[in-house]
Amino acid sequence: MKRLPVNRLSSRTSSAIIWIVLLTLPLWMRAVGSYTELGTQVVVLALAAMALNFLLGFTGTLSFGHAAYFGLGAYGAAMTIKYLVPSTPLAILVGMAAGTIAAMIIGALIVKLRGVYFAMVTIAFGQVFYFITFRWNTVTGGDDGLSGWHRIPLNLGFTTIDIEHDGKAFYYFVLLCFALSVGVMAFLLRSPFGRTLLAIRENERRARFLGIPIERHLWLSFVISCLFASVAGALYALLNNFTDPRALYWGQSGNFVIMAVLGGMRSFWGPLIGAAIFVVLQDYVSSHTENWMSFVGLFFVLVVLFFPRGVLGIIRRRTMR
Amino acid sequence: MDREPPQRSSRRTVLKAGLAVGAAQLAGPFIISARGEEPVKIGLDNPLTGTYAAVGKNELIGCQYAVEQINAKGGILGRHVELLVEDSTSGDSSTAVQKARKLIDRDKVNFLVGNVNSALAVAMAGVAYEKGVFMMDPGGHTDAITGTGCHWNVFRICNTTQTEANAVAATLVKDYGKKFYYITPDYAFGHTLEAGMIKAVAALGGSRAGGALTPLGTTDFSSYLIAAEAAKPDVIIFLVQGDDQVNALKQAVQFGLEKRVHLAGAQGELEPLEGLPPEARIGTWVFEWYWNQPGVPHVAEFVAAIKKKTGRVPTARTWFGFAGTWSCALAANGAKSLEAVKMAKFLQGYHLPPEVALMPDGAFFRAGQNQLIPDLFVGHAQASGSAPDDLFKVTQVVKGVDVAGTLEETGCKMTWPA
Repeated sequence: MKRLPVNRLSSRTSSAIIWIVLLTLPLWMRAVGSYTELGTQVVVLALAAMALNFLLGFTGTLSFGHAAYFGLGAYGAAMTIKYLVPSTPLAILVGMAAGTIAAMIIGALIVKLRGVYFAMVTIAFGQVFYFITFRWNTVTGGDDGLSGWHRIPLNLGFTTIDIEHDGKAFYYFVLLCFALSVGVMAFLLRSPFGRTLLAIRENERRARFLGIPIERHLWLSFVISCLFASVAGALYALLNNFTDPRALYWGQSGNFVIMAVLGGMRSFWGPLIGAAIFVVLQDYVSSHTENWMSFVGLFFVLVVLFFPRGVLGIIRRRTMR
Repeated sequence: MDREPPQRSSRRTVLKAGLAVGAAQLAGPFIISARGEEPVKIGLDNPLTGTYAAVGKNELIGCQYAVEQINAKGGILGRHVELLVEDSTSGDSSTAVQKARKLIDRDKVNFLVGNVNSALAVAMAGVAYEKGVFMMDPGGHTDAITGTGCHWNVFRICNTTQTEANAVAATLVKDYGKKFYYITPDYAFGHTLEAGMIKAVAALGGSRAGGALTPLGTTDFSSYLIAAEAAKPDVIIFLVQGDDQVNALKQAVQFGLEKRVHLAGAQGELEPLEGLPPEARIGTWVFEWYWNQPGVPHVAEFVAAIKKKTGRVPTARTWFGFAGTWSCALAANGAKSLEAVKMAKFLQGYHLPPEVALMPDGAFFRAGQNQLIPDLFVGHAQASGSAPDDLFKVTQVVKGVDVAGTLEETGCKMTWPA
């Protein structure tokens, strides 16, 4: 019982530290020899990994197909700007809707499956979307990807924020979307609904005996998780001013899982740390050797072998001792 | 159950902190203090891993050799030239885009160079255009880069797929007949290539006898080859690339197809020919550059230098990298500036000097499109030639101006910054 206040305090301090780092990132990123877009990329992929972790870490269900919803978000946003309306917020909403609606349908079909079967069916459905984007050349641009569009400056009525050319402005725009998303996720996890998800994770049979409608909760958790994954996808497309079928490929889903596990899937902020390590490591090592993927892989193997609770798990254990 | 949280920092913590600070010093960036004169930076964002690793590395060799030459001849605007290399991977456009941003934002490159993969080249062109940085695409062929998706700051060395199709179609229709059958890889690139070829053949009065779309990574082409022969075409066109091309040609030869129908393709490269057994080195192809050009000035020196460097003859890819990098230097020295707009303006209609063009009729950047218009080398693959590396027999040198189409046909509408 004594642990609780300490724990809450440490989680509050760690949240504060994380927000301070994220808010000041563009100010010192360049000074340490990096660049703003790398920070934006970390935040976007962190959102995707945290969205996945809503399902993986807090509901105890592994999805290997989250790239599909990430990619649908990306294509939804890209195609809105390219074919419909040149508006960045609308693009994000359409991308979000595309990913969420797909997740609602797919989710309803698969919630009865468990464990590895659930994971495999998510891959299968993910690949369906991948092949649609890969083959439907006239609409999605096929393997060449969807280019020839760019994010549109935000028009707030009284002023215009140029997120198109100003990298820092776009970073803060992404950070705002990130804050809203993780805020909602944190709120949900603290609500009775979130506690129920934890109960399902810990002991599904027991939760069922308590009268909890497991399937409905799993479905909701899957849909919420995919909703934020598609927001991340939409932001990713806006970051690159480009998207291609690789965003939906199952390898991308694997990257999200790696980020979540690397950082620590039992903690709320774990996937953010995982995404930061993954992106920065990839960025740094790949400039020095063409065998950079072996190093990223090796690092992942080491973390899984020696620190199964992820990087944040190590830190937590230290502070709690 | 719980121990008290540590209240004071122990000796060990201090030591660890010291170690961390020390490591941070090592891991930190190399911040270059003012050195009088900064080098001019060329950023190469090209595949070094994956499917296109071999061709990507050949382009890299060309770039490196060009940088050595440029520095030996006084650099760019009297400044030393530095080549920064990033691996874009062979197919992951987000990595390519990330690397392009890194080169532009962090390393402040003056030129961005890449990419073998057309899709990645298009994505990089988007970044270069957004940032207003001069970009050179040495070997990404898709038409859009200097066509409907052209930008004032994006230049290209290799030909468009349409140009290649036009170059080889004339020879095929003249020498082998008018009915064509297509074996096409089933994705965007293959479809574009086939459409280009059909257009080129139709313009010469030829027709399409049929076609098969083969999934990427097909190993067994027998059913496609049987269907192709049954359609009774005069020519079977292989538009499949890389390993698929190797498999398709090997099986065609096993079937003895080459004795009954003429086999051909559009874009041919030395790298896949090296991977084929001698008996499968058959068919009519178009090469964009070839090392065996007797009598053309400067080519022999270039070949000798690359051979000395790598032990192998240069391929078209080596030349792409070489000519691309030299074009950057020539643009800056010609414009007497590193401003992208001035350099891009200078290159409009610019003819490359013969020691860079390395082909009989020279090469120039077409104004209003930023596309290099060089010679193309039509010929056939051969089991063995004058030298072990001589796997292609050039039968005709086609002038680019004759097959590149008009500027209107490319669909490029360029808008310059105000």
